[in-house]
Amino acid sequence: MSDHAAHDDAPAHDDHAHGGIGKYIAVFVALCFLTTMSFLTYSPAWPWRDQPQVGWAFMMAVSCTKAMLVVLFFMHVWWEANWKYVLTIPAAMMALFMVIMLAPDIGMRNRMVSQERAIHMARPSDLLMLERASADAAHAAPAAH
Amino acid sequence: MSSPAISLPHDHDHGQAGGHDDGHDDGHQGHVHLQYQPGLPLSRGKLIMWLFLSTEIMFFAALLGSYIVLRFGAAIWPKPHHVHLSEPIGAFNTFVLICSSVTVVLAFEMAKSNKTGLAKLWMLLTLLLGTLFLGVKAYEYQAKFSHGIFPWAPHGLIHERPDLYYGSAVRARLGEPAIIDRLKELDETPADKLGPEQQAARSALQQVRTMVADPNQQAFDMAVVADQIAPLPAEGTGSHSAGHAHGINDAFPWLRLPIVIPGGNMWASTYFLLTGFHAIHVIVGLIVFAVLLSYPLGRANAGMIESAGLYWHFVDLVWIFMFPLLYLF
Repeated sequence: MSDHAAHDDAPAHDDHAHGGIGKYIAVFVALCFLTTMSFLTYSPAWPWRDQPQVGWAFMMAVSCTKAMLVVLFFMHVWWEANWKYVLTIPAAMMALFMVIMLAPDIGMRNRMVSQERAIHMARPSDLLMLERASADAAHAAPAAH
Repeated sequence: MSSPAISLPHDHDHGQAGGHDDGHDDGHQGHVHLQYQPGLPLSRGKLIMWLFLSTEIMFFAALLGSYIVLRFGAAIWPKPHHVHLSEPIGAFNTFVLICSSVTVVLAFEMAKSNKTGLAKLWMLLTLLLGTLFLGVKAYEYQAKFSHGIFPWAPHGLIHERPDLYYGSAVRARLGEPAIIDRLKELDETPADKLGPEQQAARSALQQVRTMVADPNQQAFDMAVVADQIAPLPAEGTGSHSAGHAHGINDAFPWLRLPIVIPGGNMWASTYFLLTGFHAIHVIVGLIVFAVLLSYPLGRANAGMIESAGLYWHFVDLVWIFMFPLLYLF
């Protein structure tokens, strides 16, 4: 059922065969690789620089893969019986529901704002103003800034 | 199949309840033997831990789900370098937690094979890695606090826009009695007693004081004021020292003038809530491991270690989702 590590000695008497330590190391290496991959969107080789949604989707895919590896192997769910589906599937559905249900009231809260809020809320033009002020200051006194 | 696990004490007066093949007449005892069928093929400890984890899944799904919705529905969200967020530090923390997941799994494997010494070693390593994670988190929090980024007012100095309300907040801070005294002290300090950065900051402060007091101030003036106090240059531009651009608040930390980070308050609120709750869960996990270290970590206690490990893996799982959402998006 699983590969044998060189230092394996005790016979299997639990859910899955002993000697799965090599498997854990393999999962660990995969997790480290995937963590590095999530920075791939920052590298100059990333082709979708002007479509951040592609980057977000990629990063979520990497996270989900890492999560699956941890759940299946570190939490032994790969070897568990059918109750694992009863646990995970409704929870995943509800996590998705949570985001969908909040989207109309919270996600789209800025589609229609009152004038009071419009006066006080931050907007991209504020950031542009601050960046322009910073650039001006850098030009005016490059050593002092 | 035929070994009875439960015996019901049988009362004499009611006669013997029949109907079971395994039941037999003990005479004056009269036990009825039933077969115990476990509902699920796992131990009670593990079952209850999984039930608890499903509640934790809902807890963090609520927090992360609302973060996703808040962040993507915001008109503007701060960039990582605006709020002193370091992606490499986050990646390092991710690596630390992944390592701790491996060590706890190895502790469990050692315990199952009754290698108590090795199990203790791996568990101790898990504890140390978890503590390292918390230490790095504390360092990150300190970086935020020292720049006036707190999850609540009045500690937090963040304003959303460089507008007239911001200008009057700066003016109010400069008008506080304690600050007036210290400013007077600062003005009277001869130039050679201050470092070059502080001299430049002092003249910038003078400019700021003039601008916020000016009755004819224009909208862009407040942006200039904000930039002097805590700059937010576009990434890659402007001069940087020690990894981020310096302003008056950096040269004189006691001044704590209001700063402008568009979207910064919502960011601070969600960041500290998410990472704070996660850190609390890490602390609880570390307490569990510390307590477990006082037990003999052999085959008899392997079930406890497995359950503790499940909890710790879940904590790692939450961080695996939190890291890209908070740091990389």
